[in-house]
Amino acid sequence: MNEIVSDKSWILLERCPIQNEHDIVKARQVVRQFGKEAGMGIVDQTRITTAVSELFRNMFLYAGGGEVLVEKGIVDERNTLIVTCIDQGPGIANIELAMTDGYTSGGGMGYGLPGSKRLVDRFEIYSQVNKGTTIRVMKWK
Amino acid sequence: MEANTEIKNAKVRIEHIEDVLSSVAAGDLDIRIESEIEDDLTGVEQAINLLIDDLTHELKKSIKMKEDMEDKLRKIQDQQKTILQQQEDLMELSSPVSKVWDNILILPVIGTLDSQRTQIMMENLLLKIVSTGCTTAILDITGVPTVDTQVANHLLKTVTAARLLGAECIVSGISPAIAQTIVHLGINLSNILTKATLQSAMIYAMKKNEQLVDGKVKTNFTDIDDIQL
Amino acid sequence: MDFNEKRIPIIKIRDYLIVSIQVDMHDRLALQLQTQILEEIYRTGAKGVLIDISTLEMVDSFIGRVLSGMASMAAIMDAAVVIVGMQPAVAITLVELGLEMPGVDTALNMELGMEMLEKRLNKA
Ligand SMILES: Nc1ncnc2c1ncn2[C@@H]1O[C@H](COP(=O)(O)OP(=O)(O)OP(=O)(O)O)[C@@H](O)[C@H]1O
Ligand SMILES: [Mg+2]
Repeated sequence: MNEIVSDKSWILLERCPIQNEHDIVKARQVVRQFGKEAGMGIVDQTRITTAVSELFRNMFLYAGGGEVLVEKGIVDERNTLIVTCIDQGPGIANIELAMTDGYTSGGGMGYGLPGSKRLVDRFEIYSQVNKGTTIRVMKWK
Repeated sequence: MEANTEIKNAKVRIEHIEDVLSSVAAGDLDIRIESEIEDDLTGVEQAINLLIDDLTHELKKSIKMKEDMEDKLRKIQDQQKTILQQQEDLMELSSPVSKVWDNILILPVIGTLDSQRTQIMMENLLLKIVSTGCTTAILDITGVPTVDTQVANHLLKTVTAARLLGAECIVSGISPAIAQTIVHLGINLSNILTKATLQSAMIYAMKKNEQLVDGKVKTNFTDIDDIQL
Repeated sequence: MDFNEKRIPIIKIRDYLIVSIQVDMHDRLALQLQTQILEEIYRTGAKGVLIDISTLEMVDSFIGRVLSGMASMAAIMDAAVVIVGMQPAVAITLVELGLEMPGVDTALNMELGMEMLEKRLNKA
């Protein structure tokens, strides 16, 4: 699993803290707004908003919160919205397992991670036990 | 040729040649070697001037060529955009959803299904379901030559999404060949309602809607007598 | 304004409860609504619940689970739940997410939802 690298040419649109349940709602609305501004159709807007909502909630539930970066840039020659979720939580020991449909360590349904991967065009995850987790999702315009 | 002809100011003139050459190397193509004296070195000086002339000419030509190429590239890119746009338009055209009867929509699918096309088709169908309020939709795949795992998944997805909206989807036009492929590929379509022909799907839908009772078609129009089927 | 103050109104018409969710709910608000509806079923003896989500722009796994959970819980209390007016984009996203909400009744609009409940009650 490789560390997640950013591109200097990307433009930071917004930085959102995730500390409580209201922050989850606020941040996902921010992401939808930027998706709309990027010219995404209604279905793609809904896909990216739902995907990040899952990630924000995971961050809140399992890592006690974290930070979200919303950026835009060119990836593979396409206009792309990039959302990166960074937390300093317990990390995920077995990423493959966590990415499996139906796996949950808590009382969830275990669709958050694999589901959000299906909803975006690119999904990157980097996690170190006891240090934290970074998950980046991208959606083309 | 006399070997010992004296070359006047040789040192200064060679230094001048060097200067001119380095100016040319730095990109100044207007500079030339000037010489008032006629001797053996003059030939070299003139040759160098000719060389600079040629170089200037070639350079201009290649700049022109580059511009032409860029122009062509732009044109090709524009054309490509138009083609993509046309493809998108065509895709929307090629998946017409029509209301054929009270409460019943039909989407005839014709041709090969790729991901992008199925995506647009699915969205169109769902939007039409909402805008018409029709609770039954028939997806007729008679015109689809083959069904692979991906296409089957898209069909499943459409049917499930329609159900979430509150509509029932029937997939009709399953040819023997498609039935064989589906079973061979191990695709599970048990959760969706399938019919061999569009006709049987239509009859099913009308019976479900109580528009067809005991072989008689009921209409909402009182001035039309019930049609005998 | 304090978010906790925001309550989603539940209206009773004849034997039915009608709820229209018009805000982007945070998790606690969704759970609160679930409890609130179940309490109203208990208090009023309503036989059916229509939940209109036509203005909801997003249903993620949590809200999806709250909605389908509500349907199962209401069923045990002998009340039927119909989810009304889901947007196409939301439906597509839910299916791709992996949430197919089996066993949850849905209707295209309020009128059809009401008809559905009526048929169900007449059968019983
Ligand atoms: N940011 C995180 N930090 C630590 N562990 C995490 C993080 N995100 C996910 N996990 C772990 O991965 C598991 C799978 O996550 P996923 O979102 O797929 O399912 P879930 O949250 O358990 O259920 P659901 O999302 O369906 O409600 C979680 O149960 C949790 O153990
Ligand atoms: Mg989760």
